[in-house]
Amino acid sequence: MLRYIALRAALALAVAFTVSLAAFLLLNVAGDPAQAIAGEDATPDVIEAIRDRYGLDRPLPVRYFDWLGGVLQGDFGTSYYWHKPVAELVADRADETITLALSALSVTIIIALPLGALAALNPNSWIDRFALGVAVSAQAVPNFWLGLIMIILFGVMMPIFPVSGDSTWKHFVLPAFVLGASSVPAVMRLTRTGLIEVMGADYIRTARSKGFRGWPLLRRHAMRNALLPVISVLAVQLGQKFGGSVITESIFAINGLGRLALESILGMDIPTVQMLIFVFAIVFVAMNLLADILNAALDPRIRIG
Amino acid sequence: MQQFRWRHLGAASALALATAISPAFAGPSDDTLRAAMSEEILNLDYNYTTKREYIILAQLTDATLFNIDPETQEVLPSIATSYEFFDETTLDVTLRDDVKFHDGSKLTPADVAYTYNWIKDERSESNAAGVVRRWLDTAEVTGENTLRFHLASVYPLVIRDMAARIMIRKDGTYDAGGEVDRDAMAQDLIATGPYKVASFEPGTELVLERNEDYFGEKPAIGTIVVRNIPDIGTQQAEMMSGGLDWMFKVPLDLAQSLGATPLATHLSGNDLRVGFLVLDSHGYTDPEGPLTNVKVRQAINHALNKPEMAEYLIGGSSEAIHTACHPAQFGCDTSVTDYPYDPEKARALLAEAGYEDGFTLPLWAYRDKAAAEAIAADLTAVGIDVDLRYVKLQSLNQARAAREIPAYFGTWGSGGTADTAAIARIHFDMESDRNMSGDQALADEILSAEQTVDQEERKEIYSSALGKIADEALWAPLFTYSANYLVSPELDFPLDPDGLPRLQNSSWK
Repeated sequence: MLRYIALRAALALAVAFTVSLAAFLLLNVAGDPAQAIAGEDATPDVIEAIRDRYGLDRPLPVRYFDWLGGVLQGDFGTSYYWHKPVAELVADRADETITLALSALSVTIIIALPLGALAALNPNSWIDRFALGVAVSAQAVPNFWLGLIMIILFGVMMPIFPVSGDSTWKHFVLPAFVLGASSVPAVMRLTRTGLIEVMGADYIRTARSKGFRGWPLLRRHAMRNALLPVISVLAVQLGQKFGGSVITESIFAINGLGRLALESILGMDIPTVQMLIFVFAIVFVAMNLLADILNAALDPRIRIG
Repeated sequence: MQQFRWRHLGAASALALATAISPAFAGPSDDTLRAAMSEEILNLDYNYTTKREYIILAQLTDATLFNIDPETQEVLPSIATSYEFFDETTLDVTLRDDVKFHDGSKLTPADVAYTYNWIKDERSESNAAGVVRRWLDTAEVTGENTLRFHLASVYPLVIRDMAARIMIRKDGTYDAGGEVDRDAMAQDLIATGPYKVASFEPGTELVLERNEDYFGEKPAIGTIVVRNIPDIGTQQAEMMSGGLDWMFKVPLDLAQSLGATPLATHLSGNDLRVGFLVLDSHGYTDPEGPLTNVKVRQAINHALNKPEMAEYLIGGSSEAIHTACHPAQFGCDTSVTDYPYDPEKARALLAEAGYEDGFTLPLWAYRDKAAAEAIAADLTAVGIDVDLRYVKLQSLNQARAAREIPAYFGTWGSGGTADTAAIARIHFDMESDRNMSGDQALADEILSAEQTVDQEERKEIYSSALGKIADEALWAPLFTYSANYLVSPELDFPLDPDGLPRLQNSSWK
């Protein structure tokens, strides 16, 4: 198991570096970072001064390996815009994104698990159809649209929650719902499928014969096994929440990593983009790894070499 | 009955929840103007920034030696009370004796001299360096309230540059103890303007409080909060729910629809930005190309329905233009040759030029896609086969620098400066790749306007240069832009003709 974890960790690093190289090349091919920093009406001397200040006139390989050398020494560079170490910038913003991602995952769990269980206990009933409708709708609705609808409903028509900012827990309610909703379909359907499969198993029949019915049967016997795949999917979904926070954070003006990523890409702040991609890739791979480990730990039938 | 009770209980709970957690409202009740900006505000020092948002903020936090009256373009005193040219390259300036920095310390001529000398210094790498190096040799203190600027050459626009670009800092701000710190004022700004920084969270929120020690007329509103809200839809929702008092760069349709409700007022003001087509008249991309023929360029000018583009695509206060500058700019002559919309005449001119069957024109554009497509459609209608290449600004710049662009739809905001110099030199200097005319005489003429002290003479030079640009149809000027604002119905926000929003002049109704 330890060997497997080490292997996956090495793979995560390789993925992160590969993705950062691709991002570096794409951003530089896409345009001139000095122009993006200077703005639309900047005069050539201003653009040249910026290019000179940040060493953007050096060849691409020199700049990339310069960055890579810094990373190997723990220095991710300095943001062109913020004029501060990128690592510090990312650390400053991580709290908001972690809060949002965990809140969103909680929303997913709160909605998807009961809905999936209800659908499984009442297959082909109106409850099942309703749950399916919710799943299909949530899957079809884009984040930015749902975000704006939530803002109109709960920020304008019924001004219950603030619509932008991140200074209090109230600011996270709407964005957490929006971000969490996108994971509801997958988790709900998996819960339903898992439960239906488990409910037909011999040991459930045995439990029924012992008098277990309804919620006790579900809680003590069915859920434990049915939720094994759901737990690993939730771990993956948590990784996706980090990457998926870009749009949600921008809509709700949350000063997290997602918004930082968007602003950095638009502004071609290459050191920041590279570190963020590095972080997102590591988180994503780590969550996948966690899912594998959880699967192995929870299900004795799964043994990883 | 049971259901009735539950309903009441639910309604009461919802009301209690709403009351407990509804957001704070902006407005006169707490004398706080809440403004939104999409662009992240990261640096408060305009000596090290360039973008529009930073110009607006600098108006609030900074003061310059002089001001330019946005109505009349006259020089007004500010930190400096007066100026006098000792000779053509020596400028004496007298300062007020009651100017204080935000930390309470008194401004001295040494601070002013330091600021100018620092920005000129190679180590400064200031975004204003290009402006100052154009004319400054050195600045020196000559008395208790006086200083002298030694100019490197004759430069009549020096007062304008002093008014627009250089923000005064305390002596030693950027290199105290010999250590260079270009970000010294990025967050903890100590300036001399009507508002001072109360708190600043980069990328999130800037809180400004009225500077009670400000030497000029104190602003009416006590506090201004500038929030960074990237999404315009979210800004709209904040405005509708009372969380914002001021939005700018609002898309026309949104401004009109929300402005029609009692929740906000739509204001449409001038913007010094103009749109235009630049045509490769010199033949950089093709020495024998159709654009080297003046009749073809005139045909292009006649083919474009500029009034409709201005009215329907840009909207607000946008107007069609036929000269290579904004009519509100000093020296912008609007009596130059006009090419009214006339597709028949355009076809005739193309035929005269030997292009009765048209030709293929790669047209580059980077913004306002609808306008770019309208331009392409108008040109197509007179027989020109337009290959519209809508790209990112950086890509356009790279291709233009490589002289690969025969024609592009460009815009220029003149950095908010209401003087033709702010648009002419950058587009017609021989060193500039924006100059596709390759006309040395024209470039010299425009440069000479910047070296002429007499303002009437400057006007005449610009008239001559703009007349030549129009006669030879080097550009196809299109339209001015408009600035759309949404403001709280309780806010009085005056608009200036130069298009620069001055929040410090706002007041509650």
